[in-house]
Order: sequence, then C-alpha cells, then structure tokens
Amino acid sequence: MSGEFVINTLSLGSLYALMALGLVFVYGILKLVNFAYGEYIMVAGYGMYVLGIYTPTPWWATMIIAVLLAALTSYLTELVAFRPVRTKSLNAMLVTSFAVSVLLQNAVLLIVSPRARAVPLPAAFNASVTLFGVTTPLRNILTIITAVVLLAGLTLLMKYTVLGIAMRAAADKFTTTRLMGVQANMVISVAFIISGLLAGVVSIFWVGRSSSVDPLIGAAPLLIAFIATVMGGMNSLMGAVVGGFVYGLLFNVLSITLPASMVNYRDAFMFVIVILFLLFRPEGIIRGSYTEERVG
Amino acid sequence: MLTVTELQASYGAITALHGISLEVNEGELVALLGTNGAGKSTTLKSICGVLRPVQGSIEFAGESIMNKKPESILKLGISMVPEGREIFTSLTVAENLRLGAYTCYERSRYQQDLKEMFALFPILEERLSQPGGLLSGGEQQQLAIARALMSHPKLLMLDEPSLGLSPTMVDNIFELIGMLRDRGITILLVEQNAERALKVADRAYVLKTGHIEFSGTPAQLEKELDIASVYFGGSKDKSSEVTL
Amino acid sequence: MRSKRTILDAVLDRSTIVALIAVLVLVAFVMNAFAPPVFVDVYTYLCVSLIMVLGLQMFMGNSGILNWTYVGFVGIGAFVASICSTPAAVKAMGVPNMYPALVEINMPVLPALLIGGFVAAAVAAAVAWPLMRLSDAVGVITLFAALIVIHVIMTQWDNVTNGPRTFFGVPFFTTLWIAVIGACITLVAAHLFRESSLGLRLRASRDDRHAAKAIGINVVAVRYFSFVASSFIAGVGGGLWAHYITSFSPKSFYITEAFLLLTMLVVGGAGSISGAFSGTVIVTVMRELLRQLEGWLNNSGVISFEVYGLTEVSVAILLIVILIWRPGGIIGGSEIRLPFARKK
Repeated sequence: MSGEFVINTLSLGSLYALMALGLVFVYGILKLVNFAYGEYIMVAGYGMYVLGIYTPTPWWATMIIAVLLAALTSYLTELVAFRPVRTKSLNAMLVTSFAVSVLLQNAVLLIVSPRARAVPLPAAFNASVTLFGVTTPLRNILTIITAVVLLAGLTLLMKYTVLGIAMRAAADKFTTTRLMGVQANMVISVAFIISGLLAGVVSIFWVGRSSSVDPLIGAAPLLIAFIATVMGGMNSLMGAVVGGFVYGLLFNVLSITLPASMVNYRDAFMFVIVILFLLFRPEGIIRGSYTEERVG
Repeated sequence: MLTVTELQASYGAITALHGISLEVNEGELVALLGTNGAGKSTTLKSICGVLRPVQGSIEFAGESIMNKKPESILKLGISMVPEGREIFTSLTVAENLRLGAYTCYERSRYQQDLKEMFALFPILEERLSQPGGLLSGGEQQQLAIARALMSHPKLLMLDEPSLGLSPTMVDNIFELIGMLRDRGITILLVEQNAERALKVADRAYVLKTGHIEFSGTPAQLEKELDIASVYFGGSKDKSSEVTL
Repeated sequence: MRSKRTILDAVLDRSTIVALIAVLVLVAFVMNAFAPPVFVDVYTYLCVSLIMVLGLQMFMGNSGILNWTYVGFVGIGAFVASICSTPAAVKAMGVPNMYPALVEINMPVLPALLIGGFVAAAVAAAVAWPLMRLSDAVGVITLFAALIVIHVIMTQWDNVTNGPRTFFGVPFFTTLWIAVIGACITLVAAHLFRESSLGLRLRASRDDRHAAKAIGINVVAVRYFSFVASSFIAGVGGGLWAHYITSFSPKSFYITEAFLLLTMLVVGGAGSISGAFSGTVIVTVMRELLRQLEGWLNNSGVISFEVYGLTEVSVAILLIVILIWRPGGIIGGSEIRLPFARKK
C-alpha cells in the first residue's frame, strides 16, 4: 500500500466524516434525515464566490463568513420550515426538508445562474507539498488537520459542557430532557447550527477540489453523508465518523480496482455494497444506544 | 399549592381523563391510585406539560400552568420522576445528575447538593462515572429520584416508582419517599401498589377510567376499601397486599 | 356493526371514484370539442401524471413509506416500452450502441406498455425484499440510494438506453382519450387495491407496525407485494408518458421528477385517492401557469436577465405551506364524500 493511497484515503475519509457528522447531528435529535443539508454546503460555496469575486475580503475572512453563512442558513431553515412541522408526522418533516432543498437550489438558479461559477481560493490551497516522501496537494493535508481539530473540539463540547450533555441526552430521550428544564427549541437550534457549521467547513474543501460552485454542488456531499451515516450507524456520532472513513476507503479501493470500463458504475457499486451490508446489519457498524423516539 | 380542576385529556379519539379535580397542599404527600389505564400517568403528564390537556385548568402556586412547555413548568418548581425511570442510558450517572441541576446550576451549591444526594443514595457515588444504562433497576430508580431532586423542586411527582423492582428495593424506595416527606417536600405519588402508598400518604385519590372515584385520608379509604375491592376485584381478607 | 360500516364505506368510496371518473371524462369531452390544442396537451399530460401519482399513492399512501425509487420504475417502464415499440430503423440510427437483439424487437404499443409495466414490476420484485425490511430513516435513505443506482445504470448502459443522451423516435400513441382511459382504469385499480385485503393490511401496518405484526400481518410481505404492484403502474405510466413525449433521456426520471410526483401526492393528501387526484390537478395547473409566466418574462424582455427555477421555487413553497398548514394534505386521509351520499 503506497503512502499516497494512505494520505488520499485519510483526507477523503476526513472530509466524508465531517459531512456525515453534520447530517447526524440533526438526525440524532430530531430523527430527521435532512435533505436540505447539501444546500447548506452550496450556500457557503456561493458565499465564497460572492465575497471572493465582488469584494476585497481577505481569503481567511471569506472562509469564516462562508462557514457562518451555512450555519445561519441551517438555523433559518429550522426556524421557518422545520419548527412548524416538527410535531406533525415524520414524513411531513422529511418532505419538508426535500422541499427546502429544492427551494434553495432553485432560488440560487433564479438569483445567480444555473451555470457553475469560479470560486477564487488562495493558490497555496492547491499547491503541492511533499510529506513523508509523498507529494500531495496541501488541501489534502489541511483537510486532515481540520477534521482532527474539529472532531477534537466537538468531542470536548459534547463530553464536557452542559450544552453537550443536554444534546446527548436529547438524542437519547427527548421528552425527558425537556423535563430537566432543557429548552427543546434551543437544543434543536444548536443542532442545526452545528450541522450548518460543519457543512460550511465541508464546503471550503469540497468547493476547493473544483474551485467552482454550481446550484447542484450539494447533491454529492449529501449522498455521501447519507450512505456514510447509514453504514456507520445512524444513532451515534461516532458511527458517522467511522462511516465517513469507511466510505472514503471503499471509494478509493473501488477507484483503483474497478476496470476502466466500470468506473462510471462506481457510485452504483457503492450503494449496492451498502444495501447488501445493511441486510446483515441494519443498525450499521456502530450500534447506538439511543432509542427511536419521535420528537413531538 | 397545586390545584387541578375539571381536567380533560385525550389521546387522539380516546378520552383518558373525563374532568378530574384534585389538590395538593404544601408539605403534603398525596397518593394517586388506580388500575392500569385509569388515567394516573395521564394526569401527571398533563401537569408536567408533556401532554396537552383538552380542557380544565391546572394551577400551581397561584399561576396557571395549563399548556405551558415542560421546561417552563420545571422552572416553576415541579419536578417529575417519569414512569420507567427514563434514565439517560448513554450518559454517566454524574451527567444525569448534572442535567437534573440544569436550571439551577451554581458550582458551590451543586457540590453541596451532590454530597447530599450521595448521603441519600450512597450507591450513586460509587457508580458516578458509569453509564446510566449499566445500572440495575433499583439503582436507576434512585438515580431518577436524585436527578429530579437536583432541581430543588417545590413539588415532586413520582410515577410508579416501585414498578418492576425487587421487594427489598420497593421497601427502600418507600422508606426514601417517607424520608423526603419528612423533610417537607411536597409529593404527588402515582402508584399501583396501593397498600404501600397509603402507608406513607397524607391523603389519597382513587382514579377509575378517567374519573375520581374516591378522595380522602388513608384511614377513610381503608374504611371504604371493601367497596373499593368490589370495584377492583380481590377481597381485603384474602391478601394483605391490596392491589388496586 | 363493523362489517355494515365497512360496506357502507365501500359504497360511498365507490361513488367518489365514479364521480372522479365522470369529471375526468366530462372535462375530456369539453376539451376535445372546444379547447385549443395547448389545453388538450396539458390535459393529456395531467391524465398521464395522474396515473403515475395514483401508482405512487398505492404504495406510499397506504404504507406511509416515502418511496423515492418510484420514479426509477417509471423510467424503466418508459425505456422498455419505447424499445419494444420503436421501429428498428429508428433505433439503429438513434441508439448506435444498442444490442442487436434489442434493435430487432418491434411490436404494437399496447403490448409494449404492458411489457414495460411487467419489467418494472419484475425489477421491483427482484430488489424490493431487502428494502422493505428496513424502516424509518435507514429505509428512506436506502430507497433514495436505490433511485440513484437505477439512474446510474440508465445513464451508463448505453447499449440499452442510449446513455445520458436523448432516446428519440418513439411513436406517438398517447392521445387525449388514451390518457383519459388509462387514468380511469388506474383510478379503479387504485381504489380496488385500497379496499382489498392487501391494501387494508398495508394500511394497518402504516398506522401501527407493531400492532399489525401482533395480529399476524407479515408486514414485510404486505409491503413487498404492494411495492411490486405500485411499480407495475409506474412502468405502464412511464410507457404512456414516453409515447406522449416521444423523446426523452434518463434525466426525466430523477430527483426533480421524484419531487414533482411527491408534491402532487402530498399536496392533496397521500392517504386517499381523492387526495392524489386533487393534488395532481392543483400542481399541474399551477405549474403550467407558472411556466407560461416564466416564458413570458423571458421573452417579453420585461426584466433584463433570464428566469430559471421560478416554477420549482413556487411549487416548493406551496408544498412547505401545505405541510405546515395541513400536514395530511388538502383532502387528508379519508376520501371526499359527495354531498348527496353523506350519511351517518
């Protein structure tokens, strides 16, 4: 196994883990599979485009604002669309999230353009570096470092702060958490904000791969997050991270081993593998201890 | 302190409470008895805001708490030990207790409260860093009560605290409830184990299919129990354990 | 008491179906006689959409499972029927890589539509069992993933579908009357299914999965057969659509279309046939009006830039508003009762 393969897999896995984690933060508490999650990534991408092209904002500020923009979008969708249907049926919430996704995509189509737009990124981002004898874009190394920092930060937050404890409790037993005096709306809003922050960070690296953004850019990360969380286990944050790395590994292995004529079927192969896997282990790799409780 | 008037509640098309009224005065231990499906838990859930009642009124300390959110009701001083204990299984014992003090956290007071809880429930101190899910049923019940006490409630509501516990554990729990009453904590206790509940209660209500069937002191209830046993089956002489 | 009520219900429901059919046919006569061709087109399209939405309702409405994969089966039916009915010469020219065996196939449209339905149902039967075992979030995600698998295969298997490129030259077959007749038959089929023992068991499993299991309903089997039946309708609907539009690509059977069908069903109310009917009408009319508006805005030069996505934005807003205001849809879970049939 070459060093290049290891670094590629680690960086891809880190990115996928962050995608999955953002999705599962909301799922854990609301039991909502948020189809609009990909659009938070897209909004951050357009944020970078607008700031980078039309304003003299320095690149680091652009990135911070883009991440905040994703978090804000996530929070607003929760406030406007999800909160009113939260107590209704689970399907109502799912369809709502899909409608929000279509709405945001087409709003960008309407306001900006259906065509891809170039996003200016600092040149260093895509410069090559040589590490342990492996030459790789700096972006890949940054992805790994960012993921490590974020995962460590979130672990600290979830383990050692009251807010974190309350969020874990809410994912376990929502109603009982409210009986402790924890505000339901607050916990859910925080979950959406964290989900949005992660989407924003993912956006920087995802957009960084192609240096462009289009209205459908969120679709692929959404799918990756779906599959990674299902594979890792929907009921634990750890499961999402593990699922992300496993998906990254699987993706890279398939890219190498599939014959050239079959590479276009790679996504289909991935999904078939995952569906087969779920046949034998429907709860995913990591079995969460949370009960399936509806929030109402 | 707590006044419930003509409370009606339903689950969809099924009416669970047909206008019940009850009262809990400061410092009292009131038992709410009845068979399965009589509406005991529904009453508690309506009071603590988990369930939205259809009609009636609930007043606590002179303030209406009808249709308030559970989190606001807790802040007013009503703490609930839910049926089935509802421990956060993936959280440690310490984290469970910390959440109990969510609304009134203050470092020095919190440490003091913890010490007090450990005095009441020594087992919790031993298990402090274990996940709640690994505790036995009795330990979980102790944790649930301790967690509810951490918010310094004016009114503590207990929903079937003896359910599914071993006989010795049931003894411990009732001993504890008596102790809490002696400390002056107002308690509303829901139980199926009527005899044990009546031993510690100041007053009792008997619920049957969503109506209040009886209210009075345990002594009065004891007197009328023959009538009650007609309703609930089983006679007083046959078994010492009266199951309502 | 109970059986009496059920019979009364069935009679009332049947009167609803008869009324819906009467409306469909009556409007068709009016359209045929007086309306300009644009209206006839829209009405034909509405009837074809209705067939698809009713097929979706059969499974999704009665099982409560969000069926993303459905539009994939619409696509399978469309491709299979078109391959069967399109003349060999047209296929040889339009789909250069097609397997010779497929190029040679040629048959009238009607059997081609049925074969399309059967192949869709067969594919559903082959893959659905594991999918029906999964519930809740994992189920939703896997059904979504299954749609993507179907889409990837459609866009990549250019020996059959012409890949991502357009498949053209399909003979025109779906006239106004064919579409109306198809819609009427599907209305009856969806109604019979809903009231059948399978449909009742499926609805029981929707309302309470565990209770249904407890009274001896094999939830997975009930879902499985309903899913296959629903996929058959999807296939036939897809075939009819293909023979109306005459050229199409795999793009037409993907997330945007899944969303559209879902909206049509949910806006009216997934739980009932009248809900599916009214949702299809409302969304189709609204979409057509918005498309006209969008076209007018782009052509008239009132605004300086091109307008894309206005229709989708409006449909999405409509859907969100409906879900907040009436999460069960405009009609809701029970069938509309005709005023004269109202009796308690």
